[in-house]
Amino acid sequence: MKTIALGVACLLACSCGGGKKQFFVAFSQANNAEPYRAAQNALMTKLWGQQPDVRLVISDAQQDNSKQIANVETFLRQKPDLLIVAPNERTAVTDVMRTALDRQLPVICLERDISVPNYTTYIHSDNLEIGRAAGVFIAEYLKKKYGEAKGNVVSIRGLLGVEGEINRDKGAKEVFAQYPGIKIVADPVADWLQDKGKDRMAEVLRAQPRIDVVYGHNDPMAIGAWIAAHDLGVEREMIFVGVDGLGGESGGIKKVMDGVLAATFIYPLCVDKAVEIGNRILHDPSFRPEREYVIPSTMVTKENAAKLYAQQ
Amino acid sequence: MTKRPRRFPESLLALLGIIVLAIAVSPVASDGGRIFLQPGNLTDILRQISIIGIISLGMTFVILTAGIDLSVGSILALATVVVSMGIVRQGHGIAVSILLALGASAAVGVLNGVITATLRMQPFVVTLATMIGVRGLAKWLSSNENIDIGFGHDLAATFAASFSRKAVIIGTYVALAGSFWVLLTRTVFGRYVRAVGDNPKAAEYAGLPIRATKIWVYGLSGLLSGIAGVLYTAENHQGNPNAGVAYELDAIAAVVIGGTRLSGGKGSISGTVIGALFMGILTNLLRLNNVDSNVEMMIKAILIVLAVAAQRERKSK
Repeated sequence: MKTIALGVACLLACSCGGGKKQFFVAFSQANNAEPYRAAQNALMTKLWGQQPDVRLVISDAQQDNSKQIANVETFLRQKPDLLIVAPNERTAVTDVMRTALDRQLPVICLERDISVPNYTTYIHSDNLEIGRAAGVFIAEYLKKKYGEAKGNVVSIRGLLGVEGEINRDKGAKEVFAQYPGIKIVADPVADWLQDKGKDRMAEVLRAQPRIDVVYGHNDPMAIGAWIAAHDLGVEREMIFVGVDGLGGESGGIKKVMDGVLAATFIYPLCVDKAVEIGNRILHDPSFRPEREYVIPSTMVTKENAAKLYAQQ
Repeated sequence: MTKRPRRFPESLLALLGIIVLAIAVSPVASDGGRIFLQPGNLTDILRQISIIGIISLGMTFVILTAGIDLSVGSILALATVVVSMGIVRQGHGIAVSILLALGASAAVGVLNGVITATLRMQPFVVTLATMIGVRGLAKWLSSNENIDIGFGHDLAATFAASFSRKAVIIGTYVALAGSFWVLLTRTVFGRYVRAVGDNPKAAEYAGLPIRATKIWVYGLSGLLSGIAGVLYTAENHQGNPNAGVAYELDAIAAVVIGGTRLSGGKGSISGTVIGALFMGILTNLLRLNNVDSNVEMMIKAILIVLAVAAQRERKSK
């Protein structure tokens, strides 16, 4: 017991140093498990780290609404200068973000919307647009392959009910609806995960004799599907399209360079914008941010992959 | 205790039922045959159950001692991180990296066993703690990043290519299942495992090495999770600190469907293999038929309960 108390005391002592005005930025992250989230955290740490007067703390809600509420409540007790929330789900954190606003605390809502606009500004991308762009890319590819837009598409879906899943699916289907020749022949759910994407695709490959395009609603699932096709030696009979386009060794951009994915659509981390806006809020009291910033996506193909990879 | 476990034929009945159902509803291929019965599909199923299957062998031993091991998924993640970092980032050879991963996994298992056996703490609590702590360790070691194994011609790609072959993965599972079956049914250690769970008081009075047995059992469970982790790394071309979440539940499900009693003492390796096959075939038949995934969950729930209930019913006669 004594050792624990001593340890806690040490921790407290270490965290309370410093002399001049330090800004405390609190970031409540929905989870640390998805690669997209891990990339957000890494970039957030890097960019805020370049500000000598800012101390960043990230909390992990582990995909759990009540944990995220608790995390934000704990942050509020610590009186941060800026609160950034990447909501796990729309409704759950809406109330606690109201509390933050009531305390005159600037709040940045990142990537996912909440039910009532309880934020100073909302920085996000547009999954519906990404879905449409993926749909157009696939239709164009099929036109080139067959002279008209027809063919068999497999959709590999993320967690059902999540906004990203709904709109990446819906956007593509809007485009396919214009071409009766394009059929979705299977749409298994792989929960955003590479291992499940591989397993579900293994079954689809048994049941479907002809597949032209695999549209993974994120890169890991598309890569998993590629591994399943590769195991059977049929990966060249179809193309694989993903979404996320993360940088780094294990990201989707590298997979486009390697020829695993035909294309991926960058789902922006939104972090650079959040840090830019956050910085202005902290340092310039007269600054009033817009209510909303929409960060556009970029299509990654063989042509621009190497360049984008170098920029990351 | 001398009576042979009676669950085997009953769980076999559930397995036969699901196979008949799978054949009956299987979609038909262009050559007129049933897709479910294609050798490629059947080996797909075996490969898909191998990871959970290997973990559930250790889980069977743990549950037979009236324990539980919640840390298996985290240990698997640790093994994927250690083996992939060893090969990709630290330039150890394949063999050394695998040994490091297996060593780390077994060490966590032994730690579970030592704390459970010597401090007499509930295994649920002990392994819950290691589940959390080891997950943190895996994330910390890898900076919470996936360690990718490419498809080129470097050492890592060679590792992935050789260990992701169906024959290797399924072969490992079959060999381990055979070894653990022998261990449980034909050795003194196997008898100790059952005795410790069946009647701990009697085992104590009989002077059986209860502590050592428990430490071995958790150590083996850790080691098997590590082996599963190495195979997972090759199969999925990545070390992933977030791999294996909720695998403990899948492994426990396989053990329970196989007729092993959660309160310890009674159960079999053959039953656990059947339990893993049951779950694998069930998933395969639902996916081959493109069943809506929400409906899939409900059907799974019903069939799991039916499988276990069928065993109870026959037993009560």
